[in-house]
Amino acid sequence: MRILTLASRNVRRNWHRSLVTMLAMAFACFIMIFFSSLMEGMMQGSERSVVSMNMGDIQIHAQGYRDDPDIYTRIESPDALVAEIEKQGFRAASRIYSYGLLAANMASSGVQLRGVDLKQEMSVTELHRHLGSGVWLDEDDSNGVVVGKKLAGTLGVELGDELVFVGQSADGYMANELFRVRGVLKSVSDGIDRMGMFMPMQTLRDLMAMPDGTHEIVVIRPDRSSDLDIETAKIALLAEGLEVKNWKQLMPVVARMIETADVQIMIMLVIFYIAVATVVLNAMLMNVFERIHEFGIMKALGVSPWQLVGLVFAETMMMALLAAFTGLLGGWWIADYYQTHGIDMSAIAGSISYGGIAFDPVWYAALTAESLIYPFVFLLLVAALAVIYPAAKAALLSPVKAIYFR
Amino acid sequence: MGTTDHLYAAEDRTTLILNRVDDLWRGDSSYAVVTMRVKTEHYTRTMRMEGWSKGKEKTLFRVLEPLREKGTMTLKSDNHIYTYLPKTDRTIRLTSGMMMGSWMGSHLTNDDLVKEARLEEDYDASISFEGVRDGQEIIEFTLTPKPDAPVVWGKLLLTILADSYTPLEERYFDEDMQLARTFTFTDMKLLSGKMRPALLRVVPADRPDEYTEFIYEELELNIEVSDAMFTKASLKRR
Repeated sequence: MRILTLASRNVRRNWHRSLVTMLAMAFACFIMIFFSSLMEGMMQGSERSVVSMNMGDIQIHAQGYRDDPDIYTRIESPDALVAEIEKQGFRAASRIYSYGLLAANMASSGVQLRGVDLKQEMSVTELHRHLGSGVWLDEDDSNGVVVGKKLAGTLGVELGDELVFVGQSADGYMANELFRVRGVLKSVSDGIDRMGMFMPMQTLRDLMAMPDGTHEIVVIRPDRSSDLDIETAKIALLAEGLEVKNWKQLMPVVARMIETADVQIMIMLVIFYIAVATVVLNAMLMNVFERIHEFGIMKALGVSPWQLVGLVFAETMMMALLAAFTGLLGGWWIADYYQTHGIDMSAIAGSISYGGIAFDPVWYAALTAESLIYPFVFLLLVAALAVIYPAAKAALLSPVKAIYFR
Repeated sequence: MGTTDHLYAAEDRTTLILNRVDDLWRGDSSYAVVTMRVKTEHYTRTMRMEGWSKGKEKTLFRVLEPLREKGTMTLKSDNHIYTYLPKTDRTIRLTSGMMMGSWMGSHLTNDDLVKEARLEEDYDASISFEGVRDGQEIIEFTLTPKPDAPVVWGKLLLTILADSYTPLEERYFDEDMQLARTFTFTDMKLLSGKMRPALLRVVPADRPDEYTEFIYEELELNIEVSDAMFTKASLKRR
């Protein structure tokens, strides 16, 4: 008996029901691919917001700086360290920080000044592309600064407005200087939004009378898929005596949230496929019951129970494969579409922030091999499982009863 | 009845002494030239300034030296602090967020300037020790802030010489009753017609190697000072 020929004829014979079953399966596959690529996109997007905007993958500080950000707690000879890290294939940039008071008009606010190494920083983080208005820092415009979004609001300043800074320099004198707003950032993180002020590193060094040393080195790994802990250990080896932490250690809450997204995808997958399994089970059961008479005759003609099982399985698999391919193609297409276009959530949410980190309101899908293969394989597996019962039912029929079954 | 009389008498004496201590440097109005010396782990610096005060609400300081900071002014008017910066020719008002920041790099905070109080008004005082200590006849007061007083301290211990009512030492305790800083008063000198301690040294308890010193060079009390001096507009005019 040629099972495949027979099965394909059976599928075509009741093409209405076959089509509906296949559509249900294809739709499930399609939705799952779309969903998992969206979730993957959210995970990647969140990691990107956290890591590439400001945090970097790994940060190096002098011991104790993070607990007490004292201007004197510095990493000595940072340039050598940065060069060494870059030799290992990473990208790294130094930053210096200082605190003080910023005033404009009659309003004032505490600020965190950040001196940015313009040559290095742009290759490490993407902050320079995250401006709401104005332009990024320029070495030639030493008193042009970029400020956080909320800070600009608090002080009521716009592009080109004047800012007065007062603080205390490292040698104990009053540091004061006039700055001009060159750019205003979009939402980055709570700290930066509220009190961040960025300037070229040399400007801050002059202002603070701090000719050398740096407070922080940010490192970004060349390959996003490499193991973060191993890379952290590599950097820790280079930065002896300094505190080396990766972003997951620095922001455990956000890291945890991103990790749990994986579990969410799995849970959704399971729920969805249970629904699909019911549809398949129902369709195949109907199929079997409708053909009890026919199966009875087949058995009477000498078709073995295993051949009947094979037949029912073959019919199901044929439909499932066809459906899975359709779903795969459709899912691939839509995931690819949203990978480039993104879903703009800003209309609904404005700015989304979690754990003090602002997330990109445009939600991009991310197409990965897993998000394509898992739904595909899952669908075939579920169909195979769901059809066990109807197949067994058909195999165990007693021919005489079945022939007279009405 | 007898006991209450005695209590009143004790209270009067405390009040009298505390007012004498307060008036040593302030009076109704004052003019002073003071050198401030700050030593920290990272730097040592000296700064000379002149200052005017009127009542406890109004104070104005102007830096005379070093040249780099000459003309920098701090105006305290009621509860606000303004700083005038000659380099940028701007006046800025310090916000509440900056109050715990250091004033001109010293061990005093901006808040200390704002909260400058008359001891007798903001604290309940009692004499906690009277007698000979380290060979000197002294009186030690324990001052606890009145419930509604705008004071950040848990208590103060003020030690004065018993015969002249000259302060020797003032110890500030935080709200956990841990010693936060110690003021010592030394170098008796004739200032504004009276012997007064001319050197005031602040040592933070957590950094015993650091200090800020204020050395009085000149002091005039109860002089004519115009209210107009303590306005924001006057900062720019100078």
